[in-house]
Amino acid sequence: MNTYGDNGNIITIVKRCQWRGIDVKISNVSIGQPLSASDFDFFFFGGGQDKTQIIVGKDLIQKAKKLIAAINNKAVLLSICGGYQLLQNYFKTKEGEIINGISLFDAYTAGSKERMIQDLLIEIDPELQNEIKNVYPAIEQSNCLTNLIGFENHSGKTYLGKNSKALGRVIKGAGNNNEDHTEGAVYKNAFGCYLHGSLLPKNSHFADYLISKALERRYGPIKLKPLDDSLEWKAHNWMVDRVRNQG
Amino acid sequence: MIDIKLYFAILIGKIISYTIKIFRGGATSAPGLYALKIDPLLIKKLSKQFKYGSILISGTNGKTTTSRITADILSSKYKIIHNRQGSNLIRGIASTLIQQSSFWGKINSNLGLWEIDEAVLPEAVYNLRPKFIALMNLFRDQLDRYGEIDHIREKWIKTIKSLKEDTQLVLNVDDPGISILAQYHKGKNIYFGINSKKINLPKILQVVDVKHCLMCGSSLIYSTFLSAHMGHYKCSKCNFKRKNPDFFAENPVFKTDFSTSFDLCNQSDHFQLNYSLPGLYNIYNVLGSIAIANILKINSQTIITKINNFTAAFGRFQKVRIKDKKIIIFLIKNPAGANEVIRTISIKKTINLLIILNDKIADGKDISWIWDTNWEMLSTKIKNIYLGGTRALDLAVRLKYSNINLSNKDIYKDINYSINNLISSLNNKDTLLILPTYTAMLEVQKALFNVDTKAKWHNQ
Repeated sequence: MNTYGDNGNIITIVKRCQWRGIDVKISNVSIGQPLSASDFDFFFFGGGQDKTQIIVGKDLIQKAKKLIAAINNKAVLLSICGGYQLLQNYFKTKEGEIINGISLFDAYTAGSKERMIQDLLIEIDPELQNEIKNVYPAIEQSNCLTNLIGFENHSGKTYLGKNSKALGRVIKGAGNNNEDHTEGAVYKNAFGCYLHGSLLPKNSHFADYLISKALERRYGPIKLKPLDDSLEWKAHNWMVDRVRNQG
Repeated sequence: MIDIKLYFAILIGKIISYTIKIFRGGATSAPGLYALKIDPLLIKKLSKQFKYGSILISGTNGKTTTSRITADILSSKYKIIHNRQGSNLIRGIASTLIQQSSFWGKINSNLGLWEIDEAVLPEAVYNLRPKFIALMNLFRDQLDRYGEIDHIREKWIKTIKSLKEDTQLVLNVDDPGISILAQYHKGKNIYFGINSKKINLPKILQVVDVKHCLMCGSSLIYSTFLSAHMGHYKCSKCNFKRKNPDFFAENPVFKTDFSTSFDLCNQSDHFQLNYSLPGLYNIYNVLGSIAIANILKINSQTIITKINNFTAAFGRFQKVRIKDKKIIIFLIKNPAGANEVIRTISIKKTINLLIILNDKIADGKDISWIWDTNWEMLSTKIKNIYLGGTRALDLAVRLKYSNINLSNKDIYKDINYSINNLISSLNNKDTLLILPTYTAMLEVQKALFNVDTKAKWHNQ
C-alpha cells in the first residue's frame, strides 16, 4: 500500500545505497502473491485508504508467518500509518468491527472521530538514539540526531501493549493516540509509526540507520560511507525549529 | 410575496461586498457567508428563477478550467451566472448570486454555471437542484483537508442516489472512480473520454488511486493507462468496465508551444480542434465542456470556434511577457496534476524552471505529495533551476534525490527575490516556466506585476 507520498522512503533508501555503491533490488509484493520473506533484507509497508487496507489486511494474514520469521531473523521493516496498523494485534473500526492484524507489534488501534492532521515532531527513544549515533556517519558532528520530523494524518488511535516499546516521545503533534505522548512502535528491527512526509528523506540519520541494519544482517557490522547531507539537515532543522515554535 | 429575510440577507451581502471593494480586498466569500447566516435558504430561493436550471462542475483537477471553457461556449446562447472568481464553496455561490441580484432578489440570468469544490458537492446539489452535473475525476489531493478520496466518493454516491430522473450526469469514463457513479443514478448519463491508446507524451510513473474494482474489489486490468488511474480498464472478475463514451478524443497531438490538437468525435461525426491549452488533462476539460454544450444544444461550429480561441484561467496556465522575457505559469497542486504538468513540459528540449512550494492552508499543509511526483523526468532537460516558497528546502531535497543538481544559491524562500533575479538572468530567447502551488501562484502574479506594471495579463 502506498497512498501518501510514502514513495519517498523507497527513493531515499535506493539513492543513499546507490551513492555508496551498494546495489539495491526492489520487488513489489502484491495481493495474492506468495512472499518468500527470507529473500529480503528490508520491508516497506505504507498506508492506504480504508477499503484497500481491508483487502490488504486479509492477504497479509496469509503472509504473516513468513514475515514474522524474517523479522525474528533480523530483517528490517518500516511501516507507516495503515501498514503500521495492520501489523498490530487488531484494528477496531468506529463502528466496532474488528479487523485482525498479525501481532508483530503488541498494540491495537481503535478508530476515532478525531482526525489527527498536523506536523509531528518526536524525540527518538534514548536507546535507539544511541544506536543511531553509533551508525550514522556524519561529516559534520554538529547535527542533532535525536528527533524525527514528519506529517501525521490518521484517525485511528494506537495503544501499545506491555511488550511493546515506542519509537519515541511526542514533542509536537498527536502521535499514537494524542493521549500518552508515545509515537510508533519498535520490535527488533521492525518499526511502525505515523510519520509521513516522506519520513526518510526528512530524517537522513534514521534512513542510514535502517540501511546499516539491513546490511548488517547479511554482512555483519559495517561502517557506512558518509554522504554530504547538508541540504537534508538544513531542511530537517528548519522544519524542527518551525514546529517547535508553533504555539 | 415579500420575503423580508431574503431582502435583508441580500442587503447585508451587498454592503459587505461594496465595503470589500472600497478597501480593495479580494475576498469573494465574505458576503455570502454572512448573508447565509441571515437567510440559509438564499441560494435555493435565488437559483429557482433560472429558466434553464443550474450546471455543477466538480472533480479534483480541472474544474476551474472546465467551467471557464463551458461558460465561454454557453454564453453564445444563454445569460449565464458563473462563480468565475473561483470561490467554489457554498458561500462563494451565495456571494456570486448576491452580486448579480437586484436588491429585490431578481437575477437577470437564465442559466447557472457553478464550479463546485468536491467536498461540498452534496450541499451544492441540495441548494441548487441542478439539471446537469459534470464530474471530472477524483485524485488524492489535499489529504490533510479532505481525508481519503473514497470518503468523497461515498458522499457523492449518496447524493447521486437522491437525484431525480431529470438530472443528467456528465461523466469521465476514463476514471473508474467516476464512471462507477452511473450505477447509482436513475436519470441519463453522458460519457466522455479519450479513445486513443497511444499519446505523444512520455510515459510517467504514477501513483494509482483506484487499483481495485469499486463494485467487487477484484483488481482492475488496464489495456491503456492515460494518466494516474485514468485509462481503459475492466474488472478481472465482474462485468464492470469502461463504457463507450458519447464524446471522445482521438489522435491527440501535444506541441512544443504548449498548444494541442485532437479529433473530437461522437458516434456520428468528427471535427478537428486546435487550441492553446497544454497537456492531456486539458483534453478532459475540453471534452467535459463539449458534452455539456452539446446537451444544451449549442451547434458544433460555435463550440469549435470558442474552444480554438480559448485562453486559460488565472494562472493555471498563463503566458506572460515581461521586459521582453517569456514566462509561462503552470499551477501545480497535487501529484496527479503535477505529474501531468511535468510530462507536458518535458517535451521541451531545455527548461528554465522556477518551482515554488508553499504549505499554507490553500496549498495543503502536507507536502509529502512531492515524493509522488516524477521530477526525475526533467533531470536531463534542466538548464537553469530555482526554487522558492516556504518549503523550498524540502523541495530541494526532493530534487536532489531526482538527480537534479542544485546549489545553495538556487534556493530562495522569498518569491519576489527569486523572480527578480531570474528575470534579469534570463536570455531573451529563453522561456521561463514557473510551477507554483496555489498561494505561490498569487504571489507570483503580484511579483510579476511589481516587476512590470504593464505586464500583459489575462486577469480573471
